[in-house]
Amino acid sequence: MSAAPRPRVAALALAVGLVLADSSVVVLALPDIYRDLDTSVVGATWVLVSFNLVMALAAVPAALIARRVGPGRAAAVGLAIFAGAGLACGISDNLSTLIVARCVQAAGGAAAVTAALELLPATVGSERRATAIWATAGATGAALGPAVGGILTELVSWQSIFLIQVPVALAAAVPILAVAKHEAATGILQTELRRTGRPHLWANLALAMVSAAIAAALFLLVLLLIEGWRLTPIGAAVVVTVMPLAAIVGSRIGPLVPSARARAAAGAILVSGGLAGLAFLPKAEVALTLPPQILVGIGLSLVLSALTETALGGRAPQAIHGGWTISARHAGVVIGLLALTPVFTADIAQQRDDAIDAGTAVILDSKVNPLIKIDLAQRIADRLEGEDGKVPTIGPAFEPLPSDPTDREAVEGLRDELQEQLNRGATHAFSPSFLLAALLGLLALIPIALSRRVEL
Amino acid sequence: MLVGAALVSALVLVGIYLAAGGSSYTPEKTRDPCKHRPWTNPQGLGEIANQFSISALDGAACQLGVSRETLAQALATPEARERFSERYGIDDAKLARAIRAGLLRAIDDAEEAGALSSFLAGPLRGTVEEIPLDQAIELIQNARSLLGNVESFFGPAGDLLEQFLP
Repeated sequence: MSAAPRPRVAALALAVGLVLADSSVVVLALPDIYRDLDTSVVGATWVLVSFNLVMALAAVPAALIARRVGPGRAAAVGLAIFAGAGLACGISDNLSTLIVARCVQAAGGAAAVTAALELLPATVGSERRATAIWATAGATGAALGPAVGGILTELVSWQSIFLIQVPVALAAAVPILAVAKHEAATGILQTELRRTGRPHLWANLALAMVSAAIAAALFLLVLLLIEGWRLTPIGAAVVVTVMPLAAIVGSRIGPLVPSARARAAAGAILVSGGLAGLAFLPKAEVALTLPPQILVGIGLSLVLSALTETALGGRAPQAIHGGWTISARHAGVVIGLLALTPVFTADIAQQRDDAIDAGTAVILDSKVNPLIKIDLAQRIADRLEGEDGKVPTIGPAFEPLPSDPTDREAVEGLRDELQEQLNRGATHAFSPSFLLAALLGLLALIPIALSRRVEL
Repeated sequence: MLVGAALVSALVLVGIYLAAGGSSYTPEKTRDPCKHRPWTNPQGLGEIANQFSISALDGAACQLGVSRETLAQALATPEARERFSERYGIDDAKLARAIRAGLLRAIDDAEEAGALSSFLAGPLRGTVEEIPLDQAIELIQNARSLLGNVESFFGPAGDLLEQFLP
């Protein structure tokens, strides 16, 4: 190797983390994207789905190409494509362009991630250590993605999420260029060409199911926080940071248990338990999302590492099998998003109407001066019209408050009660989707159990 | 052991949330407008007007097959009324008939509750049976004006009105 291994290891880990962060980085920006680009929740979901779909489809072919043209060249070209498409995402002013650019970004990312797994063993000197670095970088990126995306969205703009990736991807490509040049000069691949073994069906199937549940957890929780409970993107980013923090704890627990099957099963149970907890939130309070998030975070760390380890363990070449795990994970994300988005969008529309009806009942039955009621009804109607079918921020409809202290107190009570009904509606709207996601996590126990019987 | 700990953690969390009301944290259900909503001993013209409006909304909503709350939102602004008409396929004539029926039910309820004497109820019925849609909506929103109209109708005898209202 012509470049010093340490910068190259860091560059490869950065590339893997950056690309896999992209599968979730826009989650917190979706509400801003659908407002800016004048689309629906379902339309904006495709900004997320398109990336994960192309990653799922391109991962294995990208790994094959990487082995044919050389992993250094594949990684460098992949990162260049990823950076260029990131720039296109950042300057796109309509949904179609953004989605096309996201697809190209995913194709470049798939090449970089799978090639990185081919380059790492030669760089760090151990296949096992290479797998660990690759899996940790990917999990860290995926876990940190939403928080970073939320912070950038609020402090700068959703476009900045993509624009900032351009220099980072190019910086990661620099140490890898040396390998690419070496490959071009010698024409010799750095890795031994070995026969491709059969992918681990059950581990990859379990990965897909668990990934669907985890994607749903992240996506739905973010939407609940921002669209349901009206938190700012940065506020939601702080809240969902609990999940990656818990994942770090999970990564410390993992090595204490040698059985990959036990870790995978425990992880899937924790993810499902956390999701069920989110489905049965007893109140619209951020603090109540923390215990479920801790379970999901610890669970995802345990189950993803155990299943990736099982899928890659003893199999060669690593890039191809890494490609299968990437493919399975991102296919799972796509299935999770596509299966659950229609469920919760239908539920949220119904629950919003029910909540507004319940709030209206409170206002009608109150002893507030009827003239104030009429005025309130008109302002609430205007507010609902302005929010165009979304869960409204109802507070401004009650401003200015009446000057008479008795009326003022009564109107404040009505405002709080109406907000409570909206909170109830928004929270309940997500319950069926969280429960379905929990079920997916539990169903992953079947392939996890089968993976032991058939493969181990 | 790890699997057992995970299972216990998950079950404990879900159990606590369910025990705290996690399965019933939903918006309050609205009541059937066709079911009679008893009046609650109104004091003075303002409270009578309030309950009168609610009874009228219930009656109109029952006739249209929608909730009282949906109808109240629809009557808030002309734009809301237009959206309501499109969504439920209810034209102005049907809406006017329903609101008049609602106002009549409110007069019946008020009379039954002893909040309105038969002496006043008769002329009120005559008034609401003939009024156009916009005025009917105005009355349902502000029943005080209806009772005020009756007061005007009685002219010099208006001072006696308070004797008929509790």
